[in-house]
Amino acid sequence: MNDILSALLLLSVPGLPLLLAFPALRSRLSWSCYFALLPAVILLVLPATVSIDLPWLLFGTTLGLDGTFRWLLEMSVLLWYFAASRLQPLNDPAANNRLISFFLLTLAGSLGTILSTGLVDFFVFSTLMGYGFYGLLVSAGGHIARRGGRGYLVLLILADLALFEGLLIAASTTGDLTFDSVQLAMTQSDSPGLFLVMVLAGFALKAGVWPLHFWLPLVFRSSQPVVALLLPAVPITLAMLGVVRWLPLGEISSPVLGLIIQAISVAAMLYAAIFYVTGTGLKNAQLKTLPVFAIILVTGLFFTAIGTGLSDPAVWDRYGNWVHYFITSLGIGMAVLITVSGWLQAKQHFPATPAKQVEDSSLWFERWPGIIVAWASKTGFNTLPRWRAWWLAKVDRLWLLICALKSVLDASERTLQRWTFAITLFLLLGIAVVFVFLASQNIL
Amino acid sequence: MNWGAWMPLLIVLSSLLVGLVIFVLAEDRVKTRIWLNMGGALFKLVLVAFMLWGVFNGHHYETRLPLLPGLDLVLRADALSMLFVVLSSGLWLLTTVYAIGYLEDSPHRSRFFGFFSLCVTATVGVALAGNLITFLLFYELLTLATYPLIVHRGTEAARRAGRTYLVYTLAGGALLLIGTIWLYTLSGTLEFTARGFLSTLDSSHHPALVIIFVLLIAGLGVKAALVPLHGWLPQAMVAPAPVSALLHAVAVVKAGAFGIVRVVYDVYGIEFSASLGVTLPLAIVAAVTIIYGSIRALFQDDLKRRLAFSTVSQVSYIVLGIAVVGPVATVGGLVHLVHQGVMKITLFFCAGNFAETLGIHKVSEMNGVGRRMPWTMAAFTIGALGMIGVPPLAGFITKWYLGLGALEAGQSWVIFVLVGSSLLNAGYFLPILYAGWFKAPADSWPAERSFGRHETALALLVPPVITALLVVAVGLLASTPFSPLHWARFITTLEYTP
Repeated sequence: MNDILSALLLLSVPGLPLLLAFPALRSRLSWSCYFALLPAVILLVLPATVSIDLPWLLFGTTLGLDGTFRWLLEMSVLLWYFAASRLQPLNDPAANNRLISFFLLTLAGSLGTILSTGLVDFFVFSTLMGYGFYGLLVSAGGHIARRGGRGYLVLLILADLALFEGLLIAASTTGDLTFDSVQLAMTQSDSPGLFLVMVLAGFALKAGVWPLHFWLPLVFRSSQPVVALLLPAVPITLAMLGVVRWLPLGEISSPVLGLIIQAISVAAMLYAAIFYVTGTGLKNAQLKTLPVFAIILVTGLFFTAIGTGLSDPAVWDRYGNWVHYFITSLGIGMAVLITVSGWLQAKQHFPATPAKQVEDSSLWFERWPGIIVAWASKTGFNTLPRWRAWWLAKVDRLWLLICALKSVLDASERTLQRWTFAITLFLLLGIAVVFVFLASQNIL
Repeated sequence: MNWGAWMPLLIVLSSLLVGLVIFVLAEDRVKTRIWLNMGGALFKLVLVAFMLWGVFNGHHYETRLPLLPGLDLVLRADALSMLFVVLSSGLWLLTTVYAIGYLEDSPHRSRFFGFFSLCVTATVGVALAGNLITFLLFYELLTLATYPLIVHRGTEAARRAGRTYLVYTLAGGALLLIGTIWLYTLSGTLEFTARGFLSTLDSSHHPALVIIFVLLIAGLGVKAALVPLHGWLPQAMVAPAPVSALLHAVAVVKAGAFGIVRVVYDVYGIEFSASLGVTLPLAIVAAVTIIYGSIRALFQDDLKRRLAFSTVSQVSYIVLGIAVVGPVATVGGLVHLVHQGVMKITLFFCAGNFAETLGIHKVSEMNGVGRRMPWTMAAFTIGALGMIGVPPLAGFITKWYLGLGALEAGQSWVIFVLVGSSLLNAGYFLPILYAGWFKAPADSWPAERSFGRHETALALLVPPVITALLVVAVGLLASTPFSPLHWARFITTLEYTP
């Protein structure tokens, strides 16, 4: 394909939604959500593998699409069209414009991440996607969504800082920050451990891995169905993509780290399964949050695979390709689950089963999950008010301490200012003496 | 006529003459004043562009005038000075446009714009100074030219802030003077030289050189707002917004930071500084300032005061980049001289717009301001995200090079400072963005003014939008030959190539 055409096409895949996001802030551009996907559709229609070097952009950027990630882009485009169709207009025009604007920003970041061929580009686009998704979440309105947004934002910032450190380590190891070069450099590096930890921590935070999943249920209570629909397809899927693309899986062995990841991931899956089967799964009122447990389950499954790959690279070599298919199909699979669960909730095909009835009808050997659930609920969100009160008391005490510190700092600055007046006079006097001395010695 | 010998002086005079003419203009000569201001700023910019092209192509520009026996007033254009000259001249143009809109119908405009021009004259003089004595003269002129701008409003708070500013900067100037004289008595020269001129001195002078270094850095540290010499900066926030922009982004704090760069590189030389053992304490002071400024910013409800403490923190990135000792960190420090200027001027322009249009002075009054002033809030958002270091904005480039430079120099602790600072930056900027965009606005604004179909006066709106675009551009286009990053690399190559 013509170089200029492929450059324009690749740039416009993330560029068009980005450009449309700004006018969307001021005027009602509901069509822009569909129109923004047009370059991606054209790119998918063209059969060739395309790639473009942009040495003038940031530290030098390369965007490209090969066979492996074409399928992911196809799934993403499909999902984004579906999401655009599910976007419910808000009553407040300003809030609605904001919603569309953040939808487009998230879209730009998401598509750009898929086309990235280097760590920096991936980081930039995933950050754009992350902040865009935060805006989308908060724009959708509602107190609960905003609480979820706050949690997501805090983890996003921490994740970006961890990934930034990972990036610095990679850049200090190799000058070329394309995925292949970094993977090769880390394989040959004497101490890749910190890089592995930072990258895994960063993407785990972005994916909302258990036990940092507390914001996930709040997102599913958002008034905008599109937010719940995009959650697994965008931040979580792309975090998984990040792990696969940044790390030299199959080339590097880290048994201890692998074991820790496996242990956490298995615990996450157990937690999700137990809660789903014995807890909220039977309560119609919380049907909307059921996909949360599915997300915890699949992220647990994914990170178990990553842990296994780190423990035994040969296993990853044999089965690693399946992870790509898993990532590719996750968004669509979860979208179907969320849509069906939402539809079921609306139709009330599953009437609520009183919790007491469940407990009474269960046999003794069926009750043990309940005991675990009861224990788990003490640390989970079911008893949030009590925990919140405890935390509030802690925060209150911390706040008093901070206020005291602030007063001390204010007072010390005022004292310093008073001293500065005296010191200045002393210095000016000193200069006069020095001048007289130097003049008397014929130095000046 | 040898243009090379007069060009630096011409650039200094271009704003000095404008300032002197404006002083004698009657208050009602509004159009003449605007033409003079804009003409002066544009003329200076053209001259600077011409000289920049010349410096890039290896031309030599130096004005040398006799000052004292054995001491000349030297104005010289080199790669480092051009970085600061381009920044101050470019931002002066935008600040002038903004100030014209901001001070519409205000009293004492001739006095204001007269000192405004003097202030830029002094800044360009500081940038082009070819030796320490010339630097000192313009540095003190900057103090005197800025004082009337800080007290411009004439309120008790303004006068108090002005007094504090004068006392701090005079003390700093005194220290600088003592250090300069002492240095002259030891070395017999004060000429800025690539890689310094002190390394050849006898080792018996080394203890004295360390004390002189402390005196010079303390003197410069006052304007650069290094902790604990920063007390004047938050108080100076009572000044009008264009003055705040000038103080924080174009002139005063930058003059201090630039002076530290000059002393470390062109007086002592980076390698000699490191061998004297003065760079690590300097890096620690910078790190403490970065964290302290950010922590203090967290607690401020006054928007400009929060931005002031943010400046305390951010300017020390420049010092940190220098003190880490290494080419990559130096690139980070030098490029932040420009990046911080562009980001901070955007934030102050926006703060001024909120105050002038809606009467908003506090963060707690900013709920829903993005709905009323979307362009200003968008510019503020870009500036704030840049400060946090969100990619691909200007601050990200700085933090990238500082972090990489710290790893290269084996000073990994700097990474923790950067990470901690970024977290704190997010802590004091993101609540403003959240309040501005997502919270419901109050029933009425503190003091709303209508500007027709625009959210505010165009003269107030255009400068922050342009500087916000610059924040994006210098980040996104960092690898292009005309970017500040490219220029910073060029300077670093000169400093580190034997």
